[in-house]
Amino acid sequence: MPLIVIAEDEFLIADVLVIMLEDAGYEVAAASHGKAALTLVREKRPSLVITDFMMPLMTGLELAQAMRADGELAHIPVMLVSGAQGSIGRAHPDVFDAVLDKPYNEKQLLETVSRLLP
Amino acid sequence: MHKLSRLPTGIPRLDIILGGGLVEGASYIVQGQPGAGKTILSNQVAFANVGRGGKVLYVTLLAETHDRLFQALGTLDFFDRAQLGVSISYVSVFQTLRDDGLSAVVSLIRQEIARQGATLLVFDGLLNASDRADTNLDVKTFVAEVQSQAAFAGCTVLFLTSTRIAEDSPEHTMVDGVIELHNELVGVRTVRRLQVKKSRGSAGLGGYHQFEITSAGLVAYPRLEAILSTEAADNEPGGRQIASGTAGFDAMLGGGLPESSVTLVFGPSGCGKTSLGLNFLSQASAAEPALHFGFYETPPRLLKKARALGVDLETPIKSGALELIYNPMTENLLDKLGHRLLDAIRSRGVKRLLIDGLGGFERAAVHPSRLVEFFAALTNEIRVLGVTTLATWELRDLFGPTVTAPGSEISSLLDNLVMLRHVELESRYKRTISVLKVRDSGYEPVIHELGFGSRGLAVVSALEPVTGATTGVATAIVPETDA
Repeated sequence: MPLIVIAEDEFLIADVLVIMLEDAGYEVAAASHGKAALTLVREKRPSLVITDFMMPLMTGLELAQAMRADGELAHIPVMLVSGAQGSIGRAHPDVFDAVLDKPYNEKQLLETVSRLLP
Repeated sequence: MHKLSRLPTGIPRLDIILGGGLVEGASYIVQGQPGAGKTILSNQVAFANVGRGGKVLYVTLLAETHDRLFQALGTLDFFDRAQLGVSISYVSVFQTLRDDGLSAVVSLIRQEIARQGATLLVFDGLLNASDRADTNLDVKTFVAEVQSQAAFAGCTVLFLTSTRIAEDSPEHTMVDGVIELHNELVGVRTVRRLQVKKSRGSAGLGGYHQFEITSAGLVAYPRLEAILSTEAADNEPGGRQIASGTAGFDAMLGGGLPESSVTLVFGPSGCGKTSLGLNFLSQASAAEPALHFGFYETPPRLLKKARALGVDLETPIKSGALELIYNPMTENLLDKLGHRLLDAIRSRGVKRLLIDGLGGFERAAVHPSRLVEFFAALTNEIRVLGVTTLATWELRDLFGPTVTAPGSEISSLLDNLVMLRHVELESRYKRTISVLKVRDSGYEPVIHELGFGSRGLAVVSALEPVTGATTGVATAIVPETDA
């Protein structure tokens, strides 16, 4: 069962993401900011990372850049889910494999997830 | 004397109420019930800060998602989506608080301020932080730690809370300032008011000040009597006499209206108050710009009336010498009207002003007891600005012996009193005019008859000898004939 790491500071959004992904059969681990997510990624080596943009301590962009700079994590696909910074995400196609704008529905999310998973 | 560095709020006139703006590196509590305007206030301050090159850290604890917040803020002019994640970051620390407690939140905020180089920190949800704290001491420590770490970085802090924080509470004691927002029901309307309850190091304006929320965000209207009480007024009356524009009236006044004076023109409906005012405005010129500040007639109706009277207002309007400002008699805010009037005077250097009529201000007063102080401040400022003013006041009764001028204290604030009446004499109605008071000047104490000529209202002649003219019902005095 593929493991997905979620980086999201807003607990309501994180909760919904976890429920949707778990219902779809994925294993999920969530972190409330980018720094905690990076630790989780190093520890768990997930198949996919879904990240918000604005978060304390480390933004979604910084998380993705840190992963790309780390040879052992560089191959893990990263998906940005953002309401306002989708354009910033699209300006960095080198670090984000997909950008999903909020608001999105469950179908769009799961389609993008399954496309990114090996 | 040491002058504190200030952070402008970007909210019109709020800096005046705060005694110059927020103090840089200081911390403030912004409190008020849900819907009072805390979020808009703080975001407006945030985007104003971003506009001056600052960096803002907006930390939330509340359950509302940031996207919903952005959706609501998107309706406001100051909100700039392009700055999100660039110069202003919205982060939630709810999970950190839930999982690791207040000290972890403090640590996270400290790191974030440093990482982002934040000049302003907004912490939305002090109430939730209080709920999580086991004792008051914890909250006091939390507030103290956040503010000291922010101050160390030169970062100004706004703590938002929807509970009323008691004045003897630790939070109140710790912070440098407290801004309270109210949204109160007065009769059938709601009125927004704010109060700066504490402002360390600043001589702010005390008491309540009205504000409104528009698409531009908050706009504050400091109480006129508070804002103008601190300004030294050079109120040396000018020595000139200003032409009234009504033929024959200047002679009654002893040569014209005293420069920089306020004249109350009172009388019942239809007796010629506005016509007298339109004559006054028709004398507008580049040297003496004029303003009509009215409540009753829309500009098109006013122009139609002037045309019918033979008074040319179009020419001075076209040249920019005359401006018409119409304030519908709907829900008005007293201080908004006052500031609107003063702004219009200052922006064009107005020298001739017609307020038609003072009752419009009276109707807008939520607390009529402050009208005397309000009018005192307004008329003083108008005089200081060198404006010669006619203000109309409508009497309730068309006829009768009772003449109700505005409250005696208000009348005493005005320099000159002119009464217009309808007088019934031998089955004819006559319009009359009399001067009851002129500041520091002699005047003709004779009742005159008014008439409409080809160029508007004019003083025709002294009224024939009658008794009872001021009651509205006159009786001709029949001269005694020698037997």
